[in-house]
Amino acid sequence: MNIFFRELKANLKSLLIWSVIIALLIMAVTAKYSAFVGDASMLKILDSLPKAMLDVFNMRAFNLTTLTGFYGLMLVYFALMGAIAAAMWGSDLISKEERDKTVEFSLVLPVTRSAVVTAKALAGLVYCFAFVLITWGVSLVAIRSFNPEPAFYSYLALEMQALLVIELIFLSIGLLLGCAMKQYKRSGSTTVAIILITYFLYVLSSMQSSLDFLKYFTPFKYFDASQLLQSGHMDGFFLLLSAIIIVVSLIGAYWIYNKRDLYI
Amino acid sequence: MSSTIFRHEFRSRLKSVLTWSVAVTLIIFFYFSIFPSFADQTEMLNQMMAKFPPALLEAFGMNRADLSTVLGFYCLVFLFIQICLAVQAGNYGFGLVSIEESELTADFLLSKPVSRGQVLTSKLLAALACLTLTNLVVWVSSFIAIALFKGDRSFDVGTLVLILLSIVIFQLFYLSVGLVISLLVKRVRSVTPFSLGLAFGTYILNAFSGVFGDVALELITPFKHLDPNYIVQHGAYNQPLVLLNLTITIISLAASYWLYTHRDIHAVS
Repeated sequence: MNIFFRELKANLKSLLIWSVIIALLIMAVTAKYSAFVGDASMLKILDSLPKAMLDVFNMRAFNLTTLTGFYGLMLVYFALMGAIAAAMWGSDLISKEERDKTVEFSLVLPVTRSAVVTAKALAGLVYCFAFVLITWGVSLVAIRSFNPEPAFYSYLALEMQALLVIELIFLSIGLLLGCAMKQYKRSGSTTVAIILITYFLYVLSSMQSSLDFLKYFTPFKYFDASQLLQSGHMDGFFLLLSAIIIVVSLIGAYWIYNKRDLYI
Repeated sequence: MSSTIFRHEFRSRLKSVLTWSVAVTLIIFFYFSIFPSFADQTEMLNQMMAKFPPALLEAFGMNRADLSTVLGFYCLVFLFIQICLAVQAGNYGFGLVSIEESELTADFLLSKPVSRGQVLTSKLLAALACLTLTNLVVWVSSFIAIALFKGDRSFDVGTLVLILLSIVIFQLFYLSVGLVISLLVKRVRSVTPFSLGLAFGTYILNAFSGVFGDVALELITPFKHLDPNYIVQHGAYNQPLVLLNLTITIISLAASYWLYTHRDIHAVS
């Protein structure tokens, strides 16, 4: 329990910085939206567009003149921010003990290694929840002036759930890397590699239909914003896949951390 | 400039340079391998798009370079190269001097008969040399990938060279901004969150600038300053923005020298 509170306090600054970044992003983007939504001539042109064209540009589900469509477009950017934050927390929570040369101290405490990992993972979990709640809260404040329809709020809630799942995937991958890498420096760079690769795969898989199979390899594609809008719920298969990734990573993290040599 | 520090810095980064170079090469080849089939599809689309009012295309950022041409497609690939280069340069910038403090080697380094200014110069030059190696890899693999996959399409070599020349400006920006931020904060514990935040923050700002017209905020992101689409369309750099970019770089470098020579660096206790 002490470790949990200590971790919560130690990383507060990082959470604060991420919150400021995400708040700035939401503010900047809604400012853009408000400039756009007032332009009546643009709405008219959009209405006159043929459906085929919208299809091609992936605007099929995203009617960008509505707030819902607009937030659909934003989901992947929220997810990207959330993924970076969560993965960093995950790997940093574990590996910073070795970097700061405090790992010997924390492991002579009368707690098992598993208990240390558990406390740290819980702290990461609280941070992920906080990140999602802050994104949600700032969004609600930022869009107040547009008077969105009630359906928007439920869509926003759905998006935030998807964001949470994506964050948890990256948190557990980060924890696994933090536990598994023999050198603390490696865990940071491997995390970067995983984020970059999954994001690039996401872009590739949306570009061409023949590369659609790539969607299984990138969490960013698991909960596609347009698919969320059409079906109104998260895809069961991908939820299961996410759960498997999370559980496997966590089991791996505990198992490896319990039996590894520490870098001192 | 101390050649010992230069050599040590250069050597300690070689592995990282190799990793990034391989990554960038893979991205270029992987993306370009889908170019031939992609280009055929988009040609049909372009015929359709020609019928729409330009105002509309502009609003959605669809007036960008056209993806069925070699250079249009290259712009798309280049964006991903830019992200990688931004993270790499940011890593080097943030870690340049902060790593001495976090690894407790700062007082060893500063006890050497070299001034702090010289230390910083040697470190900067070494980092720049490493970035230039990656830069060269991008040049070579871009030309090879285009030659392999372009088929019978032609492209303007001059414009491609112009795009590739922008890399060094881009890298210098992240290197120097990373360096000045690392000197402004009290302590950099871990480099990666900083460099990822900087790289992706500026990337996302730019991503949104394409969707709806113009808002002043994107003026601060290098992705906009050196937007390859702009270079392809105009055959030249967006001069005011490039100047702004260079100004930020120079101010950050000057500030870094001042901050580093005045910095209170704690000895290992």
